[in-house]
Amino acid sequence: MVGFSTILQREVARFLKVLVQTLVTPFVSSFLYLLIFGVSLGNQMGSHQGVSYLAFLIPGLMMMSLINNAFQNSSSSIVSSKFSGDLEDLRVAPVTDSEIIWAMSLGSVIRGSLVATITYIVGTLFMYMQTGEFLVLKHPLVTLYFMLMAGLIFGMIGISVAFWATTFDQLSAFSAFILLPLTYLGGVFLSIEHLHPFWQMVSKANPLLYLINGLRYGILGVGDVNAWTAGGITFIGFLVFYAMARLSLKRGSFQRW
Amino acid sequence: MKALEVIDVRKQYKNSVVEAVKGISFAVEPGEIFGLLGPNGAGKTTLISSITTLETPSSGHIKVFGTDVSENPIFTKKQIGVVHQEVITSGFFDVEEILNFHSGYYGIRKNTERIHFLLQKLSLYEHRKKKVKQLSGGMKRRLMIAKALVHSPKLLLLDEPTAGVDIQLREDLWKFVRELRGEGLSILLTTHYLEEAEELCDRVGIIHRGEMIKLGETKAIVREYTHKGISLTLSEDIPLNSTYLTKKEGTQYDFTIPQDKSLGDLLLDLSIPTCLIRDVKIKEGDLEAAFLQLVSQKQADKQKEGTR
Repeated sequence: MVGFSTILQREVARFLKVLVQTLVTPFVSSFLYLLIFGVSLGNQMGSHQGVSYLAFLIPGLMMMSLINNAFQNSSSSIVSSKFSGDLEDLRVAPVTDSEIIWAMSLGSVIRGSLVATITYIVGTLFMYMQTGEFLVLKHPLVTLYFMLMAGLIFGMIGISVAFWATTFDQLSAFSAFILLPLTYLGGVFLSIEHLHPFWQMVSKANPLLYLINGLRYGILGVGDVNAWTAGGITFIGFLVFYAMARLSLKRGSFQRW
Repeated sequence: MKALEVIDVRKQYKNSVVEAVKGISFAVEPGEIFGLLGPNGAGKTTLISSITTLETPSSGHIKVFGTDVSENPIFTKKQIGVVHQEVITSGFFDVEEILNFHSGYYGIRKNTERIHFLLQKLSLYEHRKKKVKQLSGGMKRRLMIAKALVHSPKLLLLDEPTAGVDIQLREDLWKFVRELRGEGLSILLTTHYLEEAEELCDRVGIIHRGEMIKLGETKAIVREYTHKGISLTLSEDIPLNSTYLTKKEGTQYDFTIPQDKSLGDLLLDLSIPTCLIRDVKIKEGDLEAAFLQLVSQKQADKQKEGTR
């Protein structure tokens, strides 16, 4: 247990040391997204599933920043350790694979949730300025569930990708060619109701749709997919990616680049 | 119980035709310094990595204090401290933070006393708030050693501890290693500096291209595989007849004699009147000579096998 809590502490200390990159940058980008899309553009758009476009956008952006930061946290921690060589320390020390995975993905949950909370605060302030009302969570437990799951899943994906990666390029390729399209097509900015039926079908195969809409249901009480379905699929995703992370630690390399 | 037992370990890397380690066996007794010697690429680091489970051997067993590393790695890892060959840098944390985290990996939550002791011992105390990149090369090495010792291991693995280190620091490190042995630590050291092995190791194993070509007490190996060089300067040029004479230049005569033959024996054989002797120089054989002898012998054996 000491091994687990040490790695978790180290993960949190690491992202706090590079605060500008880990918390301030996401704050600025969320602020801009909300200002341009939510406030300015949103005023021209009608209500979306019975809520204002700004309100609709907030959970989408929260999930987007949570996913990105969770992935970034574990993957860049591992890759920078591969670079400096101290990843070998973890293999040589008496810590188990599951301690490493849980500590690192909980580190991802913490950073992801902090960024998502910042996005929520900025969003709710914009809403207050627009409507005079704050955005109150409809289903707090559902919100927590999806935030926790998204952080764990993407922390574990970050671990798997980083252990398998042999160059920095492979890591950024994953972000640019897989993660980014899936988030944009997963309903961050619009409901899939607005898509052509064919693309609606394609979107339903996108696992991120369930995370984004699950969180949207938790916060607003609306969503493109049933909350139970979303919750179930998310849990299966969690099990799959936990297994993948276990495999990557077994097979992947701890060795220095 | 042996501190470390390596039993017929073989390692074949993927995408490699040749086996990196070809069935090596040796043991480290409690409280001794055992040296693994060999040129670069002989398989030393592969063996160290197999002991720490960074690599899995293709076959064979490794036991640390009687426990197989593949059966109970958590136990064996706790007994071991490792100083890797390459310096590990960590960009985010300072020296003290690194040592605290490292203690945590070994299950020790509050380890300030031990950490401060090691920092003092390794003259890093004033630098404890510095990041690794602010440290000099020697300080980085010492930090690596401090890291390996935070959890008071019983077996210390030193992989080329003095590669690229200046003479002063090398002497200090040797002194420290001897002190650690004095405290009862068992030490496995790899090196390609033969002088280092001769200076420090009670026993050595010489590996060459993945095979153990000689294993034994350092002094015995030197005795067995080297010769003594004796250089006599006489006051007159006299004719001397001896099978040991290798060179004669004016009144200087160079002899190479077996280690078990003494200077007195040689002088008696030659029956030189002592009044003629102006100067005597003795050059003792060293491990380097023994090593070269062993390697060339091994290569000659191989060639013989090939022509057969």
